[in-house]
Amino acid sequence: MIFEDISLNLQAGKAKVVKELVKQAIDEGHSAQDILERGLLDGMNIIGEKFKNNEVFVPEVLVAARAMNQGSALLKPLLASEGSTAVGKVALGTIKGDLHDIGKNLVRMMMESKGLEVIDLGSDVPAEVFVETAIKEDCQIIAVSALLTTTMNNMADVVKAAEAAGIRDKVKIMLGGAPISESFAEKIGADCCTHDAATAAETAVSFCQ
Amino acid sequence: MNVKALLWKAAALHAALPILSFPAAQKLGVTVEEMVQNAELQAQAMCCIAEQTDTMAAVSLMDLSVEAEAFGAAVRFFHDEVPAITGQLVSDLEEAEALAVPDLTAGRIMTCTEGIRLAKERIHDKPVLAGMIGPFSLTGRLMDVTEIMYLCFDDPDAVHTVLKKAAAFLIAYGKALKAAGADGILMAEPLAGILSPDMAEEFSHCYVKQIIDALQEEDFSIIYHNCGNSVASMLDGIFALGADAYHFGNAVDMETVLQTAPQEILCMGNIDPAGQFVQGTPESMTAAVQDLLARCGTYPNFVPSSGCDIPAHASWDNIQAFFAALS
Repeated sequence: MIFEDISLNLQAGKAKVVKELVKQAIDEGHSAQDILERGLLDGMNIIGEKFKNNEVFVPEVLVAARAMNQGSALLKPLLASEGSTAVGKVALGTIKGDLHDIGKNLVRMMMESKGLEVIDLGSDVPAEVFVETAIKEDCQIIAVSALLTTTMNNMADVVKAAEAAGIRDKVKIMLGGAPISESFAEKIGADCCTHDAATAAETAVSFCQ
Repeated sequence: MNVKALLWKAAALHAALPILSFPAAQKLGVTVEEMVQNAELQAQAMCCIAEQTDTMAAVSLMDLSVEAEAFGAAVRFFHDEVPAITGQLVSDLEEAEALAVPDLTAGRIMTCTEGIRLAKERIHDKPVLAGMIGPFSLTGRLMDVTEIMYLCFDDPDAVHTVLKKAAAFLIAYGKALKAAGADGILMAEPLAGILSPDMAEEFSHCYVKQIIDALQEEDFSIIYHNCGNSVASMLDGIFALGADAYHFGNAVDMETVLQTAPQEILCMGNIDPAGQFVQGTPESMTAAVQDLLARCGTYPNFVPSSGCDIPAHASWDNIQAFFAALS
């Protein structure tokens, strides 16, 4: 019952209620992993599907993800002590020359809701920073966003930098943003492009399995 | 000029009105950074497009940083890209209440108004349309486009306080553009296009309607532009705004829009600016336009256009192929 309450309140974006319910669930002796999967992730998965089906929209996803993050912050130390680990690690950012970040922020939240650890590099990120972060943090994925047709060409530099650093076969490079197409991703040697945050998160999880 | 009448004529003839201005920088040999800060260059850009293409109207730059800059938001300029607003000028109700509505000498408002005046002196055979941001998109740039999404839930009073000031400023700016000689305004409200229909009604449509009611007249049209992903879910609300025409991006299927729209409502769109004008070829552009006409050309209320403003470095071969495919 408490898991359902967590899920429903998360879907409604009620971060304070979600935090209280997570605390209650902990106090009731439920495992952090159960609270995460049956409460928080259950709610985010439903929101993700509704977002793909145009039943909810960006603001609803953002507030639900905020509730998710605030609830899961309480679980982090417990998850670590239970031996739970992140599904995978992602170095995420908007490419150099581009300041647009709302799509990137949404992708971050959806990826975190799927249990991925995301290092958000912000916007206007040079190619070498993506690669250096991926090496330092042992990321399985580099995810790059661009909204401008002038900056999207800089995404090719990320692929080249990964090759030069000798990690291209160790990381998947994902692209996203309005002007990005599958043919463009293929042309520059990236692994894929995705067109919405929910699919980006699902794809990232599949890359880590 | 009666822009509405000309748009209906364009619809009958399949004449196009793409959002085409920035690529003039290539013809003029100037940078975007120079153009967005210089009235003479803006006028030259509009003249260039009016003279060298079959567009049915000249459109000023779709630069969505101008109005936010006037309020005091920080602007970052790029050599060959549109300027971007950075930072968060307003974060809560207290700051929203303290926010001053700028006068029309702030920032580059006078530059853009003067650009319209100069263009109107030189372009006589086509309407001159001024670009202007919509109220929710402006408010988002003042409150940060991501943070405003949270604030709509957490502090709607703060958002409405800024929206009221944004609308008041846009009405004043619109009147100045009208006085400078503009035949109409292309109002861009893309940020509202990622909201739910209910949130769009609360935080955008009512303010857009205020602006349209204050500015639109028989000889001064408002064309409402929204290229957001959620637009298909809010068409009823959009069509109730009372604009003379509605312009859609390539996130929506144009045929679906036309199937929903009452036939007395003009709808425009939506060849992909990045996918075709920049990354396409003349052949792919021709195919895209022919496909658009095949699906939408029988609708009497359809005007072919781009899906959004065409980037500065778009291929002029593709631009010409767009018009050629319609002729």
